[in-house]
This record gives sequence, C-alpha cells and structure tokens, in this order.
Amino acid sequence: MDLLAIIQGKPVLIGLHLGFAIIGIDAFLWLFGKLRGDGGSRKSMIITAAVGTIAFTASWIAGGYYYVTYYGTLVRPIIKSGLAPWAHNIIMETKEHIFLFIIPLAITVLFITFLEKKDMDRLGLRRPAGRLSLTIVILGLLIGAMGFIISAAARWGGITS
Amino acid sequence: MNKPRLIIASAYAAILTIIFVVVVTIWAELAAPLKDWLKAFSGHHWTSKSIFSILLYIAATIAMYPIFQKSEGASVRRAVSLLIIFTVLGVVALAAFYTGHHLKFF
Repeated sequence: MDLLAIIQGKPVLIGLHLGFAIIGIDAFLWLFGKLRGDGGSRKSMIITAAVGTIAFTASWIAGGYYYVTYYGTLVRPIIKSGLAPWAHNIIMETKEHIFLFIIPLAITVLFITFLEKKDMDRLGLRRPAGRLSLTIVILGLLIGAMGFIISAAARWGGITS
Repeated sequence: MNKPRLIIASAYAAILTIIFVVVVTIWAELAAPLKDWLKAFSGHHWTSKSIFSILLYIAATIAMYPIFQKSEGASVRRAVSLLIIFTVLGVVALAAFYTGHHLKFF
C-alpha cells in the first residue's frame, strides 16, 4: 500500500480533518492571547495566524475529500435510518456549510497581523482583532462538537430502539 | 500595499462570501434545478459551493481594495465588527433553516 492510499483511508482522513482543525483552533486561541495581552512580536503573530490558516485549509481539504468520497454513500444512510436522522439533516448540513466561513475569517485575521504593532494600536484594532480570532476559535469548537454528534449518530445508527 | 485597506476589503469580501454561502445553500435546498446544476458543475454540490465561495472571496477582496479610500481606525474596526456579526447571523440562519427543513416547516 502506497502513502497516497494510506492518506486516502477513511480513519486517516478523519484524523487529518480533526487534527488540523485542532491545530487551527489552538493557533487562533494562542493569537487571541497574544492580542489581548500585547504579547509576542509581530513576526510571531504572523506565524501563528499563518499556521492557523494553513491548518484550517488542510482540515477543509481532508474533511471535504472524506465528505464527498465516503460520507454520502457510507455514513449518511446509516444516520438517516437510525435513531437520530436529525444529526444529518440539521447538524451535518449546517456543519458542512459553516465550515466555508472559516478560511475568509482566518485570512482576514492574517492580514491584520501584517500591521506593525504601532499601527495596530493607532487603529485601535487590537481588541476587535482579538474578538475576530476568538470567533474563529468558537466556530472551530462548534464544528468539532457537531462532528462528535455526527460520529455518535453514525456509531449508534444500527440500533433502532 | 495599504494594509488597513486590505483588511477592510478582506472583511467585506468575507461578509459577501458568508451571504453567498447562506443564500445559495438555502436556495439550492428549495430549488432542485440549482442543486442539480451545482452537482453537475464539480460532481458534488458542496465542492461547487466551496470553489465558488473561495473564488468570490478572492475576487471581492481584489475588487473592493481600491474602493475603500478611507482606512482610518473607525472604518477598519467597523468592518471587523460587522464580519463577526455576519458570521453569527450566518451560523444562526443555516441552523434555523435546516431545523425548519427537518421539521418540514418549509
């Protein structure tokens, strides 16, 4: 089995989707702390925001590939015929679309970190940038919780009473 | 490159992208021909929405960059605050729509 086949395996794709999302959430949480506490250099903030943006992009690609290739044919029917069809109809449908908000939000925060520290203070942007970074964190955690519900619904999908 | 103008353009482009995702998603659920067209474009409706949303964000950022000549603090802060508000509204709108759709309200 070659490396590409391993990466395209269902458990690996889920692991990459979740793992990169955790890195993205952690990066923007760390950036929130830096913005709130005026800690860290401009360079460190740029690197943190870039790591978060790249991680969310990788999570998007891995999760998207899994969703398009496997979810519809293998997982969706189990959930729809199980105890909690709402887990697909409400949770998954919402999750897959609100994920599309994250990359433009992350890139906007990355652009903010390009500012010199004195310019960020002059524009009064430190707190709004922190709030936007925290919004990304909350959105990421919400999507993670939704993914947990969907996984649980699929795991218990075969039980009908 | 004027960084505050880039931030404003990016924030408004992100808002436009959120509106696009919400409107196209709801519209496609209610109008089968649109969902079929999205599926036919790339093989999956979600892939098509992903491609269009990222292209829209890039194009809108480039198009809006020259528009925002005023790049003082209040303008940048307003753009960032509006982006947060539209993110919350987008999440609520999609969750409410799919809840109503599941309960067959529409």
